[in-house]
Amino acid sequence: MTGTWTLTRFALRRERLGLPIWVVVAAALVAIQSVQSQDFYADPAQLASLRTTAEGNPALLAMTGPVRLLETVGGEAVFEIFSYVATVLALMSMVLVIRHTRADEEAGRAELVRSARVGRRAPLTAALVVAALANTAAGALAAVAAVATGLPLDGSALLGAALASVGLAYAGLTAAAVQVFDHTRGVSGVVIAALGASWALRGAGDVGDGTLSWLSPIGWGQRTYPYVDDRWWPLLLPVGLAAVSTAAAVVLLDRRDLGAGLLASRPGRARASWALSTPLGLAWRLQRGSLAAWAAGLFLLGLAYGSFGRSIEEVVADNPQIADFLPGGARDVVDSFFAVTIAFGAVLASAYATGAVLRARGEETSGRIEAVAATPTSRWSLLGSHLTVAFLGSTVVMALNGLGQGLAHAAAVADPDQVLRLTGLSLAYLPAVWVVAGVAALAVGLAPRAAPAVAWTVVAWSGVVAFFGDSFELPGWARDLSPADHVPAVPLDELTVAPLTGLALVATAATVAGLVGYRRRDLELS
Amino acid sequence: MTAPIEVHDLVKTFGRTRALDRLDLTVADGEVHGFLGPNGSGKSTTIRVLLGLLRADSGTARLFGGDPWRDAVRLHRDLAYVPGDVTLWPSITGGEVIDLLARLRGGLDERRRADLLDRFDLDPRKKARTYSKGNRQKVGLVAALASDAELLILDEPTSGLDPLMESVFQDCIREVRAEGRTVLLSSHILAEVEALCDRVTIIRDGRAVESGTLSELRHLRRTSMAVETDRPATGLDTLTGVHDLVVAGPRAEFDVDTAHLDAVVRHVSGFGLRSLTSQPPTLEELFLRHYGTDVARPAVPA
Repeated sequence: MTGTWTLTRFALRRERLGLPIWVVVAAALVAIQSVQSQDFYADPAQLASLRTTAEGNPALLAMTGPVRLLETVGGEAVFEIFSYVATVLALMSMVLVIRHTRADEEAGRAELVRSARVGRRAPLTAALVVAALANTAAGALAAVAAVATGLPLDGSALLGAALASVGLAYAGLTAAAVQVFDHTRGVSGVVIAALGASWALRGAGDVGDGTLSWLSPIGWGQRTYPYVDDRWWPLLLPVGLAAVSTAAAVVLLDRRDLGAGLLASRPGRARASWALSTPLGLAWRLQRGSLAAWAAGLFLLGLAYGSFGRSIEEVVADNPQIADFLPGGARDVVDSFFAVTIAFGAVLASAYATGAVLRARGEETSGRIEAVAATPTSRWSLLGSHLTVAFLGSTVVMALNGLGQGLAHAAAVADPDQVLRLTGLSLAYLPAVWVVAGVAALAVGLAPRAAPAVAWTVVAWSGVVAFFGDSFELPGWARDLSPADHVPAVPLDELTVAPLTGLALVATAATVAGLVGYRRRDLELS
Repeated sequence: MTAPIEVHDLVKTFGRTRALDRLDLTVADGEVHGFLGPNGSGKSTTIRVLLGLLRADSGTARLFGGDPWRDAVRLHRDLAYVPGDVTLWPSITGGEVIDLLARLRGGLDERRRADLLDRFDLDPRKKARTYSKGNRQKVGLVAALASDAELLILDEPTSGLDPLMESVFQDCIREVRAEGRTVLLSSHILAEVEALCDRVTIIRDGRAVESGTLSELRHLRRTSMAVETDRPATGLDTLTGVHDLVVAGPRAEFDVDTAHLDAVVRHVSGFGLRSLTSQPPTLEELFLRHYGTDVARPAVPA
């Protein structure tokens, strides 16, 4: 354990920029939800009608929590936001523990550290101490945020403790997974899978009789019922899980070599498959994993949105204020809802496409492009291969998001036509997504160093306009800067071709200019 | 026949830094050409201009007589390149990288691939993230050597290789030369260059300061001598071309400009030579003279 204190301080220094963001985001989510819930459900009658709606609505329960929380306004806030804040803290814990253990070992930095007067358990201990501090800070700040926005002290303290405990459980699980896999991807894969299982079990449990929820750390946290029953004992479960998995991690750590895992990496192929023969084959190989993850995520999100579609009418009837958040108001609630969710899908697809285009820049800054560029591969192919994946991939992602919404909505209203309708309408946003990708390509070609900042700013601005454009009453020119805002708000508004053609032309022009710029400039190698 | 590589007055600047300052470099067909210089002297920049990755500001660079910037794709068919720092995709295996690069270049010699993997003792099934620096370098070397490219451009290819692998590498380069192929070998490992290269260009601050065969270069330089004579050798200090003379009784140690070697040996033999050891200048000395302190630089004989 020698060196733990030094390593802990060093880890905190390495995290000084990123860590506060996680903590503040978690607390901000609680504060915003607290304000909104107290705004919407100040009248007990409204809370009662939400309870009735929720009991008959599995989709709503699957996305939120147990109905029991809907006894008080504070409980309603927990009902809506707990799973999400807990997820933020779980991911934060995962990232922290991985970064200060397996990632350091993988990069070879751990070797240097361990050659000093540093005990074998010190890096893991330091990582867990930092994770515990971070979760405690986030829980405390969340409790402060809840109290500051007017919720009772007791429940807020319990809410903060519950969030911190769930986060800590994932820190422990990550610590154990770090001992098992010899590379970070394996660790994050299994921890994210555990988090997904925790969502699924809790969702299934709360839709059913609640038994399955007891298998989920998120379920444990919710079952403290802050502001309703204020019971502390369920927190023994996540804290116990953290303790047991940490103990397991230490036992495994004492039995493995530095850099090794319990499971050795499987050897890969000695020969490349036929697909890995061209620049496009390489781009596909590098990007297929991320495309699969985005596609699956957006399809599932689509299913979730779609299953809400019908019940949104009931929810709005109960709480007319919600209609203020929908572009069409209460006029056509279902279409208004889908207008928002499809636009949301388009913003996420833009984020995917931007990441895919910037991959080309990553290949350059990492120096990996050098060996490829020295083969008879043109600059067009070097950048074009990644652009091809980005454009086709964003099409797939958008279509799957629409398909998910269509399938779930079709099932809810027993109308198979909804499948094609929502999938097709979703694709109306493609030209706007391509404009975002085209701007990223333009930046990679003409302003490579600024490319990530430029490209992500466009995505972020599209998000701001899509989510807050109406509530902030942004001026027209500001909205015009978002490509997606030029697309008719289908299905609420009528689909017109002219703006889509315009967007497609802009996307093409930007992409071609980016390719020409890329052809004409030096590659930036270290 | 045009030389595979011809560079004249090449200038490349990055902002205010003048990375290449009127560089000249000629690599003749079928030779192994050593490209020597310390880090930051412009070796990699020169190579990247030759590969069309960077565009020259002025001067000419010709690869097989063509323009490396405009005709990059066509010219790359006939060359294979190993970067100084081979960076690979973490989740792709070494074997896959070798195949990918070979296929992008238009195919590879299967027998040679298997043979090289064996000689370099490289496991092609390991994911690149698990390779050490030396193993990543081997992946680049096998990919390049398994091709039948006419020109190999190797940028410090052996950094990270152990002595055993260094010797395998040297064997491979000799085979390549025996096949009549051309190699541009950038290096700062002098023993490697001395062992392999027909001609050498020494570069400093983006400018070629020496170029020629090793013997030509040696000719311009001093030979260290230690003699023992029957009678004390006198008058050595009056001879042209003798430097750093130390006389102790019958022994004398000094450096001779190689151009004056003959006259000096004749003079010394007049005193009854008992023993003579002479050491030709090593590449290392040539190198240090260019990069060492200016005090150590000799006056270049006219």
